[in-house]
Amino acid sequence: MTDMLAGVPDSLLLCYCTKLTVGDLRAACRRDDWPPAGKERTGKLCTGCLGDLNYLLRQLAAEPR
Amino acid sequence: MSNNLCGLLSATFHEAGCEHLVELIHQRDAHARRRLASIDVAVYAADGAALHQATLDPRLDVIDLAALVAGIPSPPRRVLVTFDARYDERIFPYRPHHYGYVHRRGGRGAPLYYAVSAVLGGVPDRIGATNINNFESYLFMPKTAAGTHSVLLGNVARFAPSPIEVITYHGRTRSSSAVTLAPKTHAEIDLPAERDGGRLERVEVKSAFRVASYIVGRRAESEELVLFDHLFTYAR
Repeated sequence: MTDMLAGVPDSLLLCYCTKLTVGDLRAACRRDDWPPAGKERTGKLCTGCLGDLNYLLRQLAAEPR
Repeated sequence: MSNNLCGLLSATFHEAGCEHLVELIHQRDAHARRRLASIDVAVYAADGAALHQATLDPRLDVIDLAALVAGIPSPPRRVLVTFDARYDERIFPYRPHHYGYVHRRGGRGAPLYYAVSAVLGGVPDRIGATNINNFESYLFMPKTAAGTHSVLLGNVARFAPSPIEVITYHGRTRSSSAVTLAPKTHAEIDLPAERDGGRLERVEVKSAFRVASYIVGRRAESEELVLFDHLFTYAR
């Protein structure tokens, strides 16, 4: 399920408006704490990252915790 | 690099046969303090293949996009180009803008000067640009120098495909077509000048999330660009 994400670095900037990185998203999903404080508007501002955000949330939700 | 830097990813299209310059920093100041923290450029074919990726010197004012693309072996006729910038919001309290200058080599028409479309970032709420931006529209003048019109669409996402609906209005006739763009792919959708006797009056682009979009007008005989502009966010 997460093979496509294996090579994606934590430093990759996902939301250019809230400065959320893939690492931030991974950590939040591991803690079952999405969205983390201060990142609630991720995907809702310029909307450009919304597709990637939803894709990653689906993928990461399936990872074992 | 500081985690406090803001990000802005802008995108444009380049076509063979055009001079094409891009101002990396439109908002210059007398002391040239306004510089980006970093900027990367990437070039993609219509099928999303990455043709070129490079880090640019953020001190550059202008890059020659035509020369950059010409340096790619066997470049396709049209490419999607992204500019991935990081900037300090204390230096750019609004956000940085890239502007483009495009002109067909030897063309008879005027050069076109346009704002490069900001697709990812720019913190729209900070600058008051809070209209829904994945619904965009463009109104056409009754008389135009262009013989043909189209929209250029590009998906700059890393993972997600984008379904996109292009709706045209010719008088009372509403028509729509749909396209789904995989990440980093792009497409040109032709807009008929007339339908059912009505002229092309309006086009709307609706996508699941913001994509790079430009309205394009060309001379019928030479295909020289006479219009290259972004659409406008949908607002009631």
